[in-house]
Amino acid sequence: MSILLDILTTAAILYVVAAGLMIIFGVMKIINFAHGGFLTVGGYSTLIGTMIGLNVWSVLLMAFGTGFFFGLLIERFVVRPLYSRPLDAILATWGLGIILGQVITIVFGREVQVVPSPISGASELFGVSYSQYRLILVIAALIIAGGLTLLLGKTRLGLETRAVIMNETLARALGINSSLVRLITFSLGAALASLAGALITPLSSVDPNMGVPWLINAFMLVMVSGVSFMSLAIACLVLGGAQVLVSTYANPVLGGMTIAVLAALMLRLRPKGFARE
Amino acid sequence: MNNSNSFFRDDRKSLFIATAMAIILVGVAPYFLDAYLVNVLIRAFLYAAVALTVDILWGYTGILTFGQSAFFGIGAYSAGLIFTHMGFSTANAIVAIAVGVGVAVAVAGIVGSLAFYHGASNLYGSVVTLVLPIIVTQIIFSGGNFTGSSSGLSAFQSFDFSMELWFWISGLFLILLTFSTWIFVRSDAGSVLVAIRENESRCEYLGINVSYVKICLLMSSAVIAAIAGYAFASAQMVVAPEYAGFVFGTELLTWVALGGRGTLIGPVIGTLGIDVSTSYLSGNLPFVWKLILGIIFVLVIVAMPRGMAPLFMRRSRRAQGDLMDKKNPVRIDRVASTVFEDSKVNAIELRGVRKHFGSLKVLEDITLNVRPGELVSLVGPNGAGKTTLIRCISDGNERSSGSVLINGHDIGNRPPYECVAFGIGRKFQMANTFEALTVVESLRIARTRLHRPSFADRAEFLELPDAAAKVIVATGLDKELDTETRNLSHGQKQALELAMVLALEPSVLLLDEPTAGLTSLERNVIGQILTELATVHRLCVVLVEHDLDFVRQISSRVIVLHQGKIVLDGTVEQVVESELVRTIYSGGAQSIGGHS
Repeated sequence: MSILLDILTTAAILYVVAAGLMIIFGVMKIINFAHGGFLTVGGYSTLIGTMIGLNVWSVLLMAFGTGFFFGLLIERFVVRPLYSRPLDAILATWGLGIILGQVITIVFGREVQVVPSPISGASELFGVSYSQYRLILVIAALIIAGGLTLLLGKTRLGLETRAVIMNETLARALGINSSLVRLITFSLGAALASLAGALITPLSSVDPNMGVPWLINAFMLVMVSGVSFMSLAIACLVLGGAQVLVSTYANPVLGGMTIAVLAALMLRLRPKGFARE
Repeated sequence: MNNSNSFFRDDRKSLFIATAMAIILVGVAPYFLDAYLVNVLIRAFLYAAVALTVDILWGYTGILTFGQSAFFGIGAYSAGLIFTHMGFSTANAIVAIAVGVGVAVAVAGIVGSLAFYHGASNLYGSVVTLVLPIIVTQIIFSGGNFTGSSSGLSAFQSFDFSMELWFWISGLFLILLTFSTWIFVRSDAGSVLVAIRENESRCEYLGINVSYVKICLLMSSAVIAAIAGYAFASAQMVVAPEYAGFVFGTELLTWVALGGRGTLIGPVIGTLGIDVSTSYLSGNLPFVWKLILGIIFVLVIVAMPRGMAPLFMRRSRRAQGDLMDKKNPVRIDRVASTVFEDSKVNAIELRGVRKHFGSLKVLEDITLNVRPGELVSLVGPNGAGKTTLIRCISDGNERSSGSVLINGHDIGNRPPYECVAFGIGRKFQMANTFEALTVVESLRIARTRLHRPSFADRAEFLELPDAAAKVIVATGLDKELDTETRNLSHGQKQALELAMVLALEPSVLLLDEPTAGLTSLERNVIGQILTELATVHRLCVVLVEHDLDFVRQISSRVIVLHQGKIVLDGTVEQVVESELVRTIYSGGAQSIGGHS
């Protein structure tokens, strides 16, 4: 039973971490290698927020806002000139990740810092006692998925975004301000990454490179998911589940590369991955 | 005869002089530099050798690779592991280098065939090269005491060489490597790499097995990186998982990008400069220096995609082309176009070819034979399936069902380059050329299938079959031989692509609107050339054309496609008089029968 909960919560964490990367890739066809840096930004926002005594909601809001702000700046000055050079955008955003990491190191030092979890302890579920915080992350993942689906499906911005995803040239010709859509998408992706960083902070600790290990897994999950929140959820469950199984029954080190290897093989056999179309 | 390529020789001369100077510099440097700098430079030389392979893969061929660090790590660990566990001896040193190179080649072969399968996207290739260093580091981590896990291996015995000797070895290795890659990228074979970067599908349709070239390239790069790793471990007597890792792989990319991708010298200078300055400055400005590097890197990628090298290079490639032009134009060597024998076999044979996208049927049950010597025009309104049909004939993976035989060979699921081997030559609807290559280079790429290009030299002549040479002359391209394709007009690009396809000497010529963008004079010449190829040289020519006057002038047979079906197949007269065609074309019927 506990392994099933492990799979579920791992998938939820992966979903939370990968969602921001996916909306940027989906709309802009750009892989944001600064994603790890944004996760770290979120981690440190939590650190500051907790230190000055904000409540949980304000801390999360602050992480989201900080990410959004950095996203705005970076999209405008770095990513926008690289629309037509997607491979260069990978490199430039990787450089941005380095910059974010170094600035954080200079300001906060390179030490590992621990942020106390707002919720600790375990709760009884299906007869096993399980970390409450990990269970809450499942709810957080559901809220994020629901929020994004509503945003994309029910709002004017969502409609314009979907138009840009399908055919950017046509969308522009129809008077949609695709630069604005891209700006908001990138900032939202950065904000979600930062929020994810805040959410995973209580599980680990905060250090200037905390985001990098997450980047590859998030990237691989996005590669196999296409542009659908549903297929991302399936990918997180299947590949995250495989990771949990390999780590539990074989070897945690092998578990660390399960997602990357399976995703690469899967793309070879089925280039669309988990996406239906 | 020899002076016809004297510019290339001049270029060679300065290369030899530069190389000799570099060797002398490396020879005397240890006597003037302090021990710390000598030690740092040994490492920097070896890093630069790996950066050079990244430049070949990424800068020249367009493969964004994060994985060269993995091969460096494989070379380093084969030395570290064997010297730690078996002790150091000359025999073991030889075993270690053999194992390192062998494993690197095998891994590169596997990774390459996974990453560069036919039809793989560039992004997928990068994804695979990203996974490779992750796997290698995880394997090192899981090796426990055997691999030293996260702390690596150190203090093993190694060659009893002085620092100076290692300096000379690694310096000479880097110089000779730069020298030979410089020769290679400027050879005819080297321009194939740029052609792949510029336009992979055009390469495939010129009969080049792109996957094979990329895999070979990755394997050679792996050998160089593994040797560098081996030398690194032997000289520094330390190995750690970081040297095989993804972060190091990305650092290599940043050095290449800063130095100037696709310039060879740029990445070498970039790597040496950054690695040396980092080892001095990271002590004084620990985090600030890395921050500055990050900022410079982002600025260079955004604002100077060519890197720093062009700022310092007096003569750009462009300028060299102009020089070459004035001094000695490349001579075109006309050879007679092949005359194909009239065999009993059909040139094209289609049996029940269908193509559908989901429920949308684009082609339905096309059955058709075309004989050598026929000049067939495919006409029909937009969306009739003409281009799709051409695609199905030239690429085995395109059709949904049915079979296609070219000169009696079933194309099965073969990729385009294998169909080219059966005799196909295809011109695309949109001009499909290599933007960064000159006219001569492009035409030479088209000849690589027939003449294996030199890896060390440039041919002095451009051998062209008569038909291709006529197209070149008729459209004035013979005066633009050293112009980069990106600077040609649309019509000239069309003509160049046609000439490239003709240079392949195909027996089955598939042309999708070959004369769009040409003047009526040029169009007439091309019409004559095509007619001659069909009647005299017995080629089978299939033409998609909207200009129905042109169709009437040159075709021996016209096939009308409508909604994915052949609705009429006959002579020009039959089609012109057909009531059916008038209805299909409605307004367009005037233009087909307008002059009769």
